[in-house]
Amino acid sequence: MITLTPAGARNTEDAKMRIGLLRLTDAAPVIVAHEFGFFAEEGVETELVIEPSWANIADKLAYGFLDAAVIIPPLAFAVTLGLRGHTQPLVVPYTISRGGNTVTFSNSLAQEIRAHAVAEDISMAQAFAGVIGARQEQLVLAVVHTYSTHNLLLRYWLATAGLARSPKVTLAVVPPALAVDALQAKRIAGFCAGAPWGEIAERARVGLTVATSQDIWRNAPEKSLALRRSWADAQPDTVQGALRAMLRASQFCDNPANASYTAALLSRRRYVSVDSHAIMSSLPGGSVTSRNQSLFFRGATTFPFRSQARWFLQQMERWELLAPGLDHRALAHSVYRPDIYRAAIAPLGMSLPLHDEKREGGHNSPWTLEGHPDPIAMEPDSFCDGAFFDFE
Amino acid sequence: MRLKIVLIDSDPERAQALEKQLSEAGFADVVRVPGGMDLTAAVGRVSPDLVIVDMALPDRDALEDIRAVSGAHPIVMFAGGDDPAFAEDAIAAGVCSYNLSGAAEADVRPIVTSAIALFRRYRHIQSELEVAKAMLDERRVIERAKAVLMRNRKMTEPEAYAWLRRKAMNANKKIGQIAAELVKREDSQLPTTSSGQGEGR
Repeated sequence: MITLTPAGARNTEDAKMRIGLLRLTDAAPVIVAHEFGFFAEEGVETELVIEPSWANIADKLAYGFLDAAVIIPPLAFAVTLGLRGHTQPLVVPYTISRGGNTVTFSNSLAQEIRAHAVAEDISMAQAFAGVIGARQEQLVLAVVHTYSTHNLLLRYWLATAGLARSPKVTLAVVPPALAVDALQAKRIAGFCAGAPWGEIAERARVGLTVATSQDIWRNAPEKSLALRRSWADAQPDTVQGALRAMLRASQFCDNPANASYTAALLSRRRYVSVDSHAIMSSLPGGSVTSRNQSLFFRGATTFPFRSQARWFLQQMERWELLAPGLDHRALAHSVYRPDIYRAAIAPLGMSLPLHDEKREGGHNSPWTLEGHPDPIAMEPDSFCDGAFFDFE
Repeated sequence: MRLKIVLIDSDPERAQALEKQLSEAGFADVVRVPGGMDLTAAVGRVSPDLVIVDMALPDRDALEDIRAVSGAHPIVMFAGGDDPAFAEDAIAAGVCSYNLSGAAEADVRPIVTSAIALFRRYRHIQSELEVAKAMLDERRVIERAKAVLMRNRKMTEPEAYAWLRRKAMNANKKIGQIAAELVKREDSQLPTTSSGQGEGR
């Protein structure tokens, strides 16, 4: 056995970086970095741990069974603040993906909404409001976790049609892999979940997607890499190596030419364990028709902008998931760590954003961000209601 | 003690064992739920003092939303949430508990301790089973490799075994590995005739 860990860099006890992840398409860069040996080439020994639930990810981070995890950013704040169990300070030095979620409704409801939207020339959210306005019953929509991007995005979308606090819509938590069954059994009317589960529902002819992340917040930040702060502080070299390996994998996954490789790798039983074509459809270059594609690299995707942390915190407060009056700026600074990202990535000579914050939203078309040494080409980032967010 | 307990476990045998153990210890009020969709509803209906759940179930994410059904009741994850060692023990064993009513830790702790012991024992049995299965698989592949050698090289059974053992010693590998490689080679050379083997993968 050849050990790639530099001698003395870490003691043997914590030699392996244990990274937790769920069965989701946007875990791709971590799986690629592990399987293709990118981590190993940076001298980082990794162990991937596939967990069945976000609750497990959170608990195992909280009690030190995991060093790192692919996480939904609101959950990283929840763990750091002890909102759902044991408190464990986390840092987020890297954003893994943007986009990739779908709002998927049962066939009949989705068809009704689509027809109404076309007939009245209104948004899907408004059409949904119109459709349920004419109905008596309450509808249950599922999100994957209380502290999830899905919960925040779905509520944002519902709010644009005045449905956020409607008594006719109840939000429930259903794990994504079970949401398709729940939809089929009519226990829920729809769900908001990450890829590939919307695609799986469509393929099983159980549901239809009426909106994606793109229709709510274009190229919305989605998954992040979270590390236990104490673990990260104890081995800065390992962290930097891991981030460089991640960057290489992110670049690979973002390249349209690699979609089928990535999909085949992820479809393995050990990982997402579904048809690779269902995975393909949300990978860059994997489909020409899909409206739900994740981004992994282009447009400074991987940079952990603190303004995005602020958006998550603001929305968590908006929906009473966070006590009012907390210092969001300080929280964003302690959890989101572009300084770690910069230290790791700067040696590669890649252009980096000049500032740790940016305006979120407002760009309907590609735009340019101030960067060093060169400006950075960015993707559209507009919100469905035209809002934008300036936090500093 | 009338603590109401909801037990969520997809393994009926283990759930039954724990229920029995708990009722013998005087905790008779146990409701077993197999997991699945109506978990939050079930918890809402029973309004238990304590929920014990198998960490391998994805349903735990729905339980995180338990605030919605438990109303004003405080929720403490892991009985004795202030005792990291105890919680670590629980996680390592694969069991998680949600204390809904704020029942005294002294009441809850023995229950969770039983659950931890039981989950650990079941995991132990499972890993023993896996070892046994792996040994059986190895034996099966050696048998197949011997059959291949006996057919292709006209060896007797002891000769075939000796050949495999010699190969293994020379290559510094396990005999099972050598056998597996041989069988794999044989299968790949005869793609049409090996279709009857019915290998699952």
